[in-house]
Amino acid sequence: MTASKALRTEEFLVNMGPHHPSTHGVCRFLLTMDGEVVIKAVPYIGYLHRALEKICENRTYPQCLPVLDRFEYCTSMSCEYAFCLAVEKLAGIQAPERAEYLRIIMVELNRIASHLIWFGTTALDLGAITPFLYGFREREDILDLFEMTCGQRLTYNYIRIGGVSRDIPSQFIPKAKEFIDKFPSKIDDYVKLLNENPIWVVRNRNVGILPPELALSYGVSGPVLRGSGVKFDLRKDDPYSIYDRFEFDIPTGKYGDCYDRYLVRMAEMLQSTRIVKQALEQLPEGDIKAKVSPQFKPPKGEVYSRIENSRGEMGIYIQSPGDSKKPLRVKMRGGSYNHLQVMPEIVKGGKIADLVAVMASMDIIMPEVDR
Amino acid sequence: MDHTELTKYILEKFPGKIELLDTGKAEPFFKISADFLLDFCRSIHSDEKLFIDFLCNIGAVDTGKKFEVVYSVASVKNHIRFDFKLEQEYEGAEIDSIQEIWAGANWHEREVWELYGINIRNHGNLTRFLLPDDWNQGFPMRKNWDAPDFVRMPEQ
Repeated sequence: MTASKALRTEEFLVNMGPHHPSTHGVCRFLLTMDGEVVIKAVPYIGYLHRALEKICENRTYPQCLPVLDRFEYCTSMSCEYAFCLAVEKLAGIQAPERAEYLRIIMVELNRIASHLIWFGTTALDLGAITPFLYGFREREDILDLFEMTCGQRLTYNYIRIGGVSRDIPSQFIPKAKEFIDKFPSKIDDYVKLLNENPIWVVRNRNVGILPPELALSYGVSGPVLRGSGVKFDLRKDDPYSIYDRFEFDIPTGKYGDCYDRYLVRMAEMLQSTRIVKQALEQLPEGDIKAKVSPQFKPPKGEVYSRIENSRGEMGIYIQSPGDSKKPLRVKMRGGSYNHLQVMPEIVKGGKIADLVAVMASMDIIMPEVDR
Repeated sequence: MDHTELTKYILEKFPGKIELLDTGKAEPFFKISADFLLDFCRSIHSDEKLFIDFLCNIGAVDTGKKFEVVYSVASVKNHIRFDFKLEQEYEGAEIDSIQEIWAGANWHEREVWELYGINIRNHGNLTRFLLPDDWNQGFPMRKNWDAPDFVRMPEQ
C-alpha cells in the first residue's frame, strides 16, 4: 500500500476572525484550506456597520461632520476635509487662504500619524514589538499638536465647512517645527530596525504580489496602488485645494509585494513632512473661516469629490435637493473597501500566515469598509 | 483633456444616447438610459482617448419618486474624471452588473442591492454582507423605510 492511499487528505474550513487581532477591527475570513495553503478566502464584513450614511441624511450639513469623524477614525481630519471640500464644491464656498493652509498642515500630520499606526501594528502582526512602541511614541507628538489646537485626540471636528473651527495657538508652530525637524531621523531609526531585518524581509518580500492591472480593475488606490508601480497620487494628478503650491515626490514600488507597500509608506511619511514644512513657512495671516450659516441650504445639485487619504482615494458623493438644509444622500467611499475586495485574489495559493502579512500591508481599517 | 473638451468628446461619441446634466460643478455629469449602461461602460473603457480604467464609486439615491444610480469613474492614465447616472422606477428596479469591465464593482453593486433593493442582473453573488444574515426588515436606505424601534419625538 502506498503512502498516498494510507493518508486521507481533504480540504477544510477555517474561520478567521471577527476577533482575530490581525484583522484591525472586526473582519471575518472564511478560509478553505489545503493543509497550510489558502485555496479560497471569503471576507465577511458588516460587524461595524453603523449606518453613517443614513444618519447623515437626517442631519444638517454642519451636523454631519462629527459623523464623518467616525467614518475612518485613524485619519479623522481627512474625512472632515473630504466632506467639507464636497460641500464647498456644491455650494461654491471658498475657504480663506489661511484656512486652506491650516487644513493641509492638519491633514498631512494626520497622514503621518495614520502611517505610524500602520507601521506599528503591521510590525506587531508580524511579530516585532519595538516598532509598535516607536510608532506610537512619535504619533503622540502629533496628537499633542492636535490636542492643543482643537482639544481632541481622535475625533477632531476641526475642519468645518468654509474653514476651520479655530486658529492654532501660539506654541503650535514652534512645536510643529520641532517635530518636523526631528522626525526624519526617527524614520531612519525605523528603517534601520526593519529594512534589512531577515525575518521582516522573508515575511514581506514576494508575498501578496498585486499586479497593476488587477489593482486598477479592483479600484485599488493610494499607497497600495503606488506599491504596484502605478505613479498616481490625487494630490499631484488631480490637485485639489492648494496642493499645486508644494513640492513633493510620489514614491512608487516596483514589484507590488508587501515589502514595496512598506517602502512606499515610509517614503510617504517623509514627503508629508516636506509638505508640512513648506506649509508652515508659507502660512499667511488672515481669516480662518468663511461665513457659513449653520442652517445653510446648498443649491440643488450633486457632486462627487475625492481626496488622497492615507488609505487611498476617499470620495464623498453628496446630492442636495436644493430646498433643504439636510442632504438627500451622502455616500462615502473609502480606500479599504476596495482593498479588502481584492484580497481574496492575492492571498490565493499562499500560506495562512501570509494572509496576516497581506492584510497588514494593505492597511485595511474596518470602520471605513462597514461605515 | 479639460472639462469642456471632455464633455464635447463624449457627447459627440454617443449622439442621442447621452444627456449632459447641468450640475454647475467642475466635472461633467451625464445621464444615460439603463439599457445603454453596459455598452456605454465597455466603450469608455476601451476608447483610446478616454481609457476609463478606474471605477471610483457607485452610489444609489432614493429621490422619493424614483431611484438613481450614480457611477463615478476616472482614468488613471489620462487623468480624466466624470460621473454618470441612470434612473429606475421603484417597481422592478433592475440594472446590469458592470463587473466584467471593473471587477471592483462587485461590492458596490451588492450594497446597492442590499440597502436599496435594486436587483443586479448577472451579479453572481447577491448575498447579505452589511446587514445581518437573517435581516427581513426591508431595505433600510429607502426613504420610506421606518426603523421598527425608532420613535420620533413630536415636533415642538
